[in-house]
Amino acid sequence: MHATLCDLITDLVQNSFEANAAEVTLNVEETEKNLKVVIADNGKGMSAETLEKAKDPFYSDGLKHKHRKVGLGLPFLFQTSEMTGGTATIESEEGVGTTVTFNLDPANVDLPMFGNFSTAAATLMTYGFQGNLTIEHSKDGKSYSVSREELIEVLGDLNDLESLTLLKQFIEGNEEEING
Amino acid sequence: MAKMTLEELRNLRNSKKKEMTQRDGEKSAQIVIGMGTCGIAAGAKDAFDAFLDELNSHEIKDTRITQTGCMGLCFSEPTVEVAVPDMPRVIYGNVDAEVARRIVREHIIEKKLVSDHIFDKPAADIITD
Ligand SMILES: Nc1ncnc2c1ncn2[C@@H]1O[C@H](COP(=O)(O)OP(=O)(O)OP(=O)(O)O)[C@@H](O)[C@H]1O
Ligand SMILES: [Mg+2]
Repeated sequence: MHATLCDLITDLVQNSFEANAAEVTLNVEETEKNLKVVIADNGKGMSAETLEKAKDPFYSDGLKHKHRKVGLGLPFLFQTSEMTGGTATIESEEGVGTTVTFNLDPANVDLPMFGNFSTAAATLMTYGFQGNLTIEHSKDGKSYSVSREELIEVLGDLNDLESLTLLKQFIEGNEEEING
Repeated sequence: MAKMTLEELRNLRNSKKKEMTQRDGEKSAQIVIGMGTCGIAAGAKDAFDAFLDELNSHEIKDTRITQTGCMGLCFSEPTVEVAVPDMPRVIYGNVDAEVARRIVREHIIEKKLVSDHIFDKPAADIITD
């Protein structure tokens, strides 16, 4: 299992990048009673058969890890939700896209720590990925949303140190606002 | 830190750009951080934060940092590839926050390899430009 929920989220968003999606959205909705995360992409999708296999830790599509037959992203998700009485669902259609949704109980003692969302968001925004990523984060009714396209329009090359630093400050500022 | 709007972000960017116009062009260093499942589990995000912090504290502005998925070296994650002009391209293994800071000080600033963490010269099939 991942050390933090942000690591789990990062892993699942990367799956969308790897599926060659043009549009990926990450929506995180936190309340006192529930943590809801939805990751949606319009990438290559999965057939029912692939989806069934993808839940098995000893399956990886063989494209990414040439010498490895283990894929841990989705199994970690199911393990986390099963261990803590949460729910996790994947809807996927070949050639259309994939939506991963999970709900977890933030009060469950077995739940991993939430982790640092600002760093997770900054690394995802600056990942070597050509499509657009929109991140929406809400906490107890306060929220913000930011997309990679908007950030590129404002900052230019997101991967130079200056942009990275400003981008991280921007996300940290917004995180503080909704957490405060 | 207060909430920032995109407009404020744009203004900040523009004011910084003026300071750097003379330095445009050549990038001093390229850093690629492996952030696959295994890299993340092994602390690649701490390495990312440490790189950002150390580069900023030495004001090495003309550096690019990119994230990539699994580099295929899961057993020595987090792995980081560093390319500095006129130096061999190197992959470092087991890069935690402290090693990340050393890479900035020794490799990028002093132009000396951090020998005890060199994993390999990259194989052609896992690294592309
Ligand atoms: N969003 C998605 N769109 C299309 N296919 C997906 C998506 N998410 C997962 N898959 C498929 O499910 C497989 C298993 O995914 P999982 O995240 O568990 O492992 P992995 O990505 O192969 O490896 P790892 O995450 O450990 O680096 C993937 O190899 C891919 O074929
Ligand atoms: Mg994965």
